Amino acid sequence: MSASAVFILDVKGKVFCEYFKELEEESIRDNFVIVYELLDELMDFGFPQTTDSKILQEYITQQSNKLETGKSRVPPTVTNAVSWRSEGIKYKKNEVFIDVIESVNLLVNANGSVLLSEIVGTIKLKVFLSGMPELRLGLNDRVLFELTGLSGSKNKSVELEDVKFHQCVRLSRFDNDRTISFIPPDGDFELMSYRLSTQVKPLIWIESVIEKFSHSRVEIMVKAKGQFKKQSVANGVEISVPVPSDADSPRFKTSVGSAKYVPERNVVIWSIKSFPGGKEYLMRAHFGLPSVEKEEVEGRPPIGVKFEIPYFTVSGIQVRYMKIIEKSGYQALPWVRYITQSGDYQLRTS
Amino acid sequence: MPYLGSEDVVKELKKALCNPHIQADRLRYRNVIQRVIRYMTQGLDMSGVFMEMVKASATVDIVQKKLVYLYMCTYAPLKPDLALLAINTLCKDCSDPNPMVRGLALRSMCSLRMPGVQEYIQQPILNGLRDKASYVRRVAVLGCAKMHNLHGDSEVDGALVNELYSLLRDQDPIVVVNCLRSLEEILKQEGGVVINKPIAHHLLNRMSKLDQWGQAEVLNFLLRYQPRSEEELFDILNLLDSFLKSSSPGVVMGATKLFLILAKMFPHVQTDVLVRVKGPLLAACSSESRELCFVALCHVRQILHSLPGHFSSHYKKFFCSYSEPHYIKLQKVEVLCELVNDEDVQQVLEELRGYCTDVSADFAQAAIFAIGGIARTYTDQCVQILTELLGLRQEHITTVVVQTFRDLVWLCPQCTEAVCQALPGCEENIQDSEGKQALIWLLGVHGERIPNAPYVLEDFVENVKSETFPAVKMELLTALLRLFLSRPAECQDMLGRLLYYCIEEEKDMAVRDRGLFYYRLLLVGIDEVKRILCSPKSDPTLGLLEDPAERPVNSWASDFNTLVPVYGKAHWATISKCQGAERCDPELPKTSSFAASGPLIPEENKERVQELPDSGALMLVPNRQLTADYFEKTWLSLKVAHQQVLPWRGEFHPDTLQMALQVVNIQTIAMSRAGSRPWKAYLSAQDDTGCLFLTELLLEPGNSEMQISVKQNEARTETLNSFISVLETVIGTIEEIKS
Repeated sequence: MSASAVFILDVKGKVFCEYFKELEEESIRDNFVIVYELLDELMDFGFPQTTDSKILQEYITQQSNKLETGKSRVPPTVTNAVSWRSEGIKYKKNEVFIDVIESVNLLVNANGSVLLSEIVGTIKLKVFLSGMPELRLGLNDRVLFELTGLSGSKNKSVELEDVKFHQCVRLSRFDNDRTISFIPPDGDFELMSYRLSTQVKPLIWIESVIEKFSHSRVEIMVKAKGQFKKQSVANGVEISVPVPSDADSPRFKTSVGSAKYVPERNVVIWSIKSFPGGKEYLMRAHFGLPSVEKEEVEGRPPIGVKFEIPYFTVSGIQVRYMKIIEKSGYQALPWVRYITQSGDYQLRTS
Repeated sequence: MPYLGSEDVVKELKKALCNPHIQADRLRYRNVIQRVIRYMTQGLDMSGVFMEMVKASATVDIVQKKLVYLYMCTYAPLKPDLALLAINTLCKDCSDPNPMVRGLALRSMCSLRMPGVQEYIQQPILNGLRDKASYVRRVAVLGCAKMHNLHGDSEVDGALVNELYSLLRDQDPIVVVNCLRSLEEILKQEGGVVINKPIAHHLLNRMSKLDQWGQAEVLNFLLRYQPRSEEELFDILNLLDSFLKSSSPGVVMGATKLFLILAKMFPHVQTDVLVRVKGPLLAACSSESRELCFVALCHVRQILHSLPGHFSSHYKKFFCSYSEPHYIKLQKVEVLCELVNDEDVQQVLEELRGYCTDVSADFAQAAIFAIGGIARTYTDQCVQILTELLGLRQEHITTVVVQTFRDLVWLCPQCTEAVCQALPGCEENIQDSEGKQALIWLLGVHGERIPNAPYVLEDFVENVKSETFPAVKMELLTALLRLFLSRPAECQDMLGRLLYYCIEEEKDMAVRDRGLFYYRLLLVGIDEVKRILCSPKSDPTLGLLEDPAERPVNSWASDFNTLVPVYGKAHWATISKCQGAERCDPELPKTSSFAASGPLIPEENKERVQELPDSGALMLVPNRQLTADYFEKTWLSLKVAHQQVLPWRGEFHPDTLQMALQVVNIQTIAMSRAGSRPWKAYLSAQDDTGCLFLTELLLEPGNSEMQISVKQNEARTETLNSFISVLETVIGTIEEIKS
């Protein structure tokens, strides 16, 4: 049970996060009543009970000064057979928002060879649907295409690895005919995650020269190149370049965007608001170094990159359809959004 | 726990709690209660306002109720008499129309840890088990376990156990899982909850409805079930197949373990399962939760012991990232070592070489040792990397490289030449004992190939007075003598000086003895010295011995998804033993009225045994006759405290044994007929402190030994040991008479 034991601690942290936004000493201190209440419901006699924060939120309300009457009703989920959705939910407008988010993990060696490149994809849903709807999601999954004979035609398909689903998805049906069918929880949740380890060209490529002249100065030259389609634009690009902790008097020159020295993290952050594909930009930085060298040796932190490319997925995954069926027969609208973002994106420096 | 300054606060809060104006204003009332809880959390003794808090529990505000109940559970053990007053309120809440309140009250009541609470909670728990709200049933089911725990030694309530077994069919998934948890706790002494075929199949069918914790736990319980046929086994595996893909790592691991155990007769199924969990395991290895990541890495190593190369194609996943904590990096390096094969060796070595210059000395050294491990297979590449590392002239690197060289030369003699060429110059960058020993050993054994060996050793001889480590001096003596044999001219003089120093001035006995030993050896003659000191310089076969053979999956399947892979088998055994001892501690006698150590019965002699009571150790009370019924009841309720096997040959007359036992005040309750097989006898005895010893003697057919099991109604090791030696003596004597 070792994996479970470790995992519950992690989950507890997450539940607290959903209640307090941020989990830190301060927030626990301020909300100790809720913490006690939560712990009481999460665990009994050392056994995990209800850990789903959505259900917890139904009976531990955050407005603790909201007075309750003596005959307050029990949230139906407490007694429900489908533990993740309450009965009797109603919305005026029935909508589903689908976010397909792919984050790119990259590790590049100091000599420029890619050590590790993988894509971790998640499909997140925001559900505003009345009643007990039955949803079916269609993707351009290669295995499904082969099953149905769609492959070979002009349809592009994607091979998903290591697919994991939310508890609500009927796994047996997915195993049989790759159909993703489920009764969704209300509100936000992560429907599925997958992984692709096919090698892709790094979306933002960095070349750097960091020259350290002991006792006098450090000179940094960073070249960033967008290696994705010209139509796409990466937003909020942040490239953090490590500098020695005793560096001083920074000076920057950038072809685009702005650079900032963050002494508490010992990095220079070069931010570019929008970075179109195929473009190449340059930043130079100059730091002074004290003439007395300090004792302890420093590590060689990597260069980190953050970015977000909307309307684009690296894997090419697409939502082909989303069918929503409910007894009352209402019409519901699915909205789809695609985003590619940086995950653990690191380039080692020499 | 008196806490400085708490009196004033208690007084003030007491006043506020009694104030009718505050009581009338709900918000203010709750605020005062919150303050009480806040102080309680900070460690102030708030037990002074117990009465006032009990009154505050009579409210419709559920949050206030929760806080008051929390307070009660904390202070009930301190104020048991006052807490009894609270029980009334709690009992009333147990029949509240709101199920949340019912559940809360029942849960709190079961958590009051005070003597005598059992009689009050029994009825509410029984009512709770039949409540129509599943929330209350969940609480009530666990309440059964809490109640049993409060009793401690209480007998198992058969009716309750049956009720819990029937609740396994409850429609609420959490109630089902809680039933299992509760039964497991109650039936701990009998080996836990029984999973028979109907229960197993029922659980399997309910699996998909459970939450992830429930699934993980049920998978663990299912390990106890042994399918009747191969067909059933594969049906179960098919049913559970989808859980290998669960998004919860706990469930994936639990399912994997169940597969491994159930399919222990089908190695190909086991391998197949391990291939399928590769993905989830790798995902856990790069999880955001560091702890999870660590646990997963430990399991990866476990799997690699049986299936080397299992993760080879994914070796890059085990490359360390800059920001990872130490413990993960070290695990990853270990994994990388085991993954090396012809295709990836270049990349892995390059990666490891990068780690060797890490700022953290520990991590750098671990990486160097890892390269040393790989060098046993890929010698040339590794020796080249290690040699380059020497060029950095950093102390912590050089010392580890030299140690690696020493081990390597012993196992892989083909690299001797390269190592000898790399060594000159190292001595300047070695300060620690381990490194010096390794260097001196190399210079001694392979000195004839290292031109400057005598001069390096000479430096050590010069500074031997300031050398702090005796081990280094001993190594120096041996090395210099060896070098003297191959290069006498250069070494004779300093060998003389070193021996003189060691014999005349050295204070460490071991070093002095070694010096004297070599001196006398030299007196015997140089040929004799050569014969003794010039042993083989390498032993490649040792490497084969050191490499653990591939272990079958079944050897660790039962440890999978436990803490064993995390701690290591041996370490975990010690930890769990320590924990067991701690748990037993309170049961040890508080006032041991006798010194029970020392040999009790030195000879096999009945007369001596009779004298025993006078010696004041174990005092068995004569004529203490138990009824057979009482014996049976007590026997069944106790655990075996001691079990032992004595040699036993041939036939004997039971009456002789009975008489012999009578002499030492051990009564015979029942005994099989003479000559019957299996032959059994039940004995009882009681000592002067009232401690009962119940014993079963068993002779299996065809076995030439007698099995003795002793149970004790109080756990006392000393008296138990004395009792057993008495028993042994008697049986030994009978055996002697017979033969």
